[in-house]
Parts: sequence; structure tokens; C-alpha cells
Amino acid sequence: MRAVVVGAGFAGSLIAKVLGDNGFRVLVLEAGAHNDHDEAVRRFRTALVKTPLAPYRTTAAAPSSDYLINTGPFDYSSPYLRMNGGTGTAWTGITPRMHPEDFRTADLGRGRNWPLSYDELEPYYRAAEWEIGVAADADEQRQHLPVADGYRYPMHALPRTYLDEAIASVVDGQSIDGNELLVVGTPQARNGIPVNGYRPHGQLCAGYASCVPICPENAKYTPHRTQKQWSAAVELRTRCVVNRVHADEFGRITKVTYQRYEDDTSGRHTRHEEEADLVVLAAHAIENAKLLLMSGLANSSDQVGRNLMDHPALLTWALMPQQIGPFRGPGSTTGIEVFRSGPQRCTRAPFRIEIGNWGWGWSAGSPGSDTAEFVAAGLRGKALRQAVADRVGRQFALQFEIEQEADPANRVTLGTDLDALGNPRPSVHYGLSDYVKDGLLAAKRASDRIFELLGAEDHTSYKPDDERYFEHDGEPLRYWGAGHGGGTHVMGDSPRDSVVDRWQRCWDHPNLYAVGCGSMPSLGTSNPSLTMAALALRTAGHLVSRRPEEVVCTMSKAP
Amino acid sequence: MDAFVELSAELTGFSAEELRSTGLVEQYRALAQGAPEADIIELWYTGVWHGVVPSARAYAEGLAWKAVGVAAPGTRAPGFGSWERRPRRSTS
Repeated sequence: MRAVVVGAGFAGSLIAKVLGDNGFRVLVLEAGAHNDHDEAVRRFRTALVKTPLAPYRTTAAAPSSDYLINTGPFDYSSPYLRMNGGTGTAWTGITPRMHPEDFRTADLGRGRNWPLSYDELEPYYRAAEWEIGVAADADEQRQHLPVADGYRYPMHALPRTYLDEAIASVVDGQSIDGNELLVVGTPQARNGIPVNGYRPHGQLCAGYASCVPICPENAKYTPHRTQKQWSAAVELRTRCVVNRVHADEFGRITKVTYQRYEDDTSGRHTRHEEEADLVVLAAHAIENAKLLLMSGLANSSDQVGRNLMDHPALLTWALMPQQIGPFRGPGSTTGIEVFRSGPQRCTRAPFRIEIGNWGWGWSAGSPGSDTAEFVAAGLRGKALRQAVADRVGRQFALQFEIEQEADPANRVTLGTDLDALGNPRPSVHYGLSDYVKDGLLAAKRASDRIFELLGAEDHTSYKPDDERYFEHDGEPLRYWGAGHGGGTHVMGDSPRDSVVDRWQRCWDHPNLYAVGCGSMPSLGTSNPSLTMAALALRTAGHLVSRRPEEVVCTMSKAP
Repeated sequence: MDAFVELSAELTGFSAEELRSTGLVEQYRALAQGAPEADIIELWYTGVWHGVVPSARAYAEGLAWKAVGVAAPGTRAPGFGSWERRPRRSTS
């Protein structure tokens, strides 16, 4: 069996590994260039603004998310990276599971149900946690999620930050609108102390405090780790932009065509094609949809590109009464999980609260912004030094990830503008429903209450000239993109209203799979990479458990 | 006494010795001698000169981080689990 995997990111690297280990010949075509880790670390250090994509090499031929065209009422502002390893190179490495309720979002709140239950996915969560290496404590996770009896995560939970303890000692047991607060450790794909039987790849996390966008010592999982374990049956070609998937008159995929470039700065390229028995699209939710639309495939349901979701994130920031030592260790080691589930999701979007350990770095540009403020106020010398120490040393932030329901009007289409290779730039029509806005507002009110409990000095401010500012019920609000794009080749029970089936196979094409967050009917409130990995392993297992004859046999039954 | 270092120490609240230990005095003198006070402070505190980070060292040695008593993110690691401990105050 000759398999072509489009995209060498999270899902593509995992699937390629399993296929390569099980008798498939696998060609992975990656649009972006090779990642040079040391060069990326250097770029990070000299980048003026340390955005998630700042360290990474970009090319004119395969631009990253900055080439999206926004046409809707709100900007879709979540980045993704076209480079070997994909956005999984820059990701934060936080790996909570989805809540069981999140698989029944339509029944309990808004949006769509999954064709799978939490219980069906649970064994694959365990497999994914061992595959990528997750540090967490099963008993602690059982406080809000079912985790299989006797299960151990491959690494013990990372130590909590000093800030986490300071917050937990005050808020644990307190209540907001009937929700009892509890600070819970967040599973992390970065190296802690292994349990017996697990051998971590990479170094123990030493606390560089730059997980996003880059861990200098590779203590955080990235897809490059999986790629190192690929068998010789897997071949990677970078700088290859697949621009069409071809099907025969029966809907069976026959080949892909791609454009290969060498020069980082121009669209000069050569054209190639590759025949395949099986094609797996793993290029990111937006790029998968773009490629399906460009190919005119898999869209009998008219759902390709629709249901684009993200986690609109709300940031709030404040000063603790005491020094808490921010910017040491991972960005977040705990959260408050109680708002993720429960009856309130009928009326407003649920949310997860992340306790942010990197001061006001993301929300307000600290410590540069604090320094500039004090200098402008005339502080010099010891007074300046003392003011910066006092202010920054007490900073913390809360990050709320709000569920956004699948809405067919939030969609990716092909823009009329072309990129350097002559391919359409993705056009995104994106908005926030009242359900989401009510969730953002509820999150802001929870933040107000938590800051009050802590005796923290609230410095949160959203101003009309800020990006992504809006008002809801007369309250100023703002949202940030969490980088969690999904939904664009949505999974379902019926070919009439979904693009892929429960195995992430396109209903219209027996040997075409579209994998990744694009398959998710809801994102719930959890960072989605772990769920993407669990789905990828499930799909890979499905592909290898069906012997090639059976795959061929099914194909011959295609309409 | 070096006039640029003396002025920098007065503006930043860090001693001449602390400033010299960054290894950046010569680079910063070349960039910032005679510049407005606010620009000199921004350079020392954040490692940014007129919208550019002149070197990786400039970022790593930013005095804002030193004032707080932490390393600039992605430059030096305090060690596994160190984030649990009560923060130590910088000596000023």
C-alpha cells in the first residue's frame, strides 16, 4: 500500500509512524521548509515581539496564517505554522482531555454532537498520552474527568508554581454562582519524572519559560520527536505544496499533484505528481479545507470549510498582594475546571480557566510595557528598578478558553487573491454568536470575583482602539485567538451533513482521510492537540487493522 | 570613570559593575552615547534599540528581568521544579 500523507505536523507525523510500522510505504509531503531548531532559538531571542511564529522560518511559497483574508464581522486571529512539524512546533504543550459532555454539545448546549463518545475515545487518550509523553496525576484528573481505573500517566504531574499555591490556598472551596472552585493540575506534554516503564525523549523540563514558541532544550513534545521514530518506510519531502487531490469517476483517489520550491523568497517551483492507494490530509483545519475545495472533493454535504471554530480566549490580568515570581517554569501548570461543564452551558458557552504564570507578557507586553510606563512617569535609577521589581514580580494573568459552537456560517472559502504559487489564499468569514459572547461575559465576571477573593489589584482593560474589541450587554470585552482552529471537515454520522465519518474518512471517497482538529464537531473547552492525537491514533489503528485486501475490497464497492 | 557607564548606572539603578557584567557596555556605548535618557534606559532594560534587538545577549541581559530576579525567557533555566519556591528578591 502506497500512502501519501499531506502535512508533517501533529496528526500527520503520528499517522505516518503507525502506517510505516505496519507495512505501508508512506510519503509525507510537507508544504513548509525544514525546521532548524538552533536557528529558531536564535531568532526567538532577537525577535522584537515574541509571537508564536516569530522564531520560525517562513517561505513565500507556503505562507503561514498571515496570508488569510478576513471577510467576516470579527477577525479570525489564530496563527498556524506551515513548516516541518507544523503548529505543533510552536504549541504550548498543554494537554487536557475533552470533558465527556463536550461530545454531546448539541444536546447540552449549542452546536453539534460527536459521532463518538468520551468512553469510545478514552483508550486512545491513554495511547496518545503515552505516545507524546504527558505529565499528570490520574487521581487529580479524576476530580473532574473519568480516567480508566489503574491508569498511570507516563510521567508524574509537574510541580505547581508558587503562584498556583498562592491562588489555591485562597480560592479552593470558594464558590461562584454555585460552582465550587478548585485549582487542578493541568496535564502537560513536557518532561517530568517518568513512571516505571516510560522512557522520556528529550530533557527534563528545566523551566526556560518560553514553551510557546520554543523550548530551547526540547523538553516539550513536538512532532519532530515522532518523526525521529519513523521507520525507513516513511519518506519526508519538505517544500512540497500539494495543490490538488485527484479522484477517478468512482470517487476513488488516484494521485496528488504538488508544487516543489527551493527558494524561500519567491514562488518559483516545479510541478510533480504522486500516485497513491491512500491519501491522508493532515495539513491543518484551514489548509485541509482549502485543499478539498481546490480539488472539488468530499463536499456533497456542502460542509467543507464550514463550522470553523476556535477558542476565543479572554485574558484578564492583575497584581497579587505579594511577590509570586512569574516567568519561572511553564506558562501554566494549573487551571480551574468547574466552568467547563454543567447546566449553565445551556445558556452560555462553557469555559476553562488557565492560571497564567508568565505575568502580563501576552496580555500587556510586560516587562517592556511596565518599564516604558515608569520611564514616561519620570522614574529613574533605584526608583525605576524598584518599581519594575515590585510590579512585575506580582503579575499574573487568567486565560479563559471559551467554547465556540459549530456554526456553518463561520467558514473558509477560496479567496480570489492568489499566493506566490498561484493558489487561492483562504478567505475566512468568522463571527462570535451571542452564546459565545455570553460565555466571554460570564468569564469576565468570574475573573472579577476571583480577583476580589485574592485581594488582587485588577489591571485588566479593554479599549475601543484595541484589536478585537467589542461590547456586549454594554460591557467592554475583547478576545484573543487561541490557535485552536477546527471544524472545517466536520465528522458526523451521516454523509448528508458531515464531511468525514467516525474514522475521519471522507464519506465521498473511500481512500481519502481528512484528519486533525478539522474533524472535530465541537472543541469543548480544552486545548485540542491531545484530542487530535487520540483521533489520529484511532484512525491509524483503523487503517492498519483493515488488511490491504479489505481496503481494496471496500474501494471496489464505491459508488 | 567611564562617563557612559556612569550615566547608565544613574539612569538604571544598577551599579557600574552590574552593567559591565552584562558584556554589553561597548556595544551599547556605540549605539547610545549621547542618546536621550529614555532611549538609553529602554536599551538597558529591554535590550531594544529603536525597534530592533541588536543581539541575543541584549535580550538575555535585559535589566527588567534582572530587576525581577528572573532570567529572560528562553535564555537560562532555573532548574526542574524551581518554580515551586518562594521567589527571591533581587538585590538592589
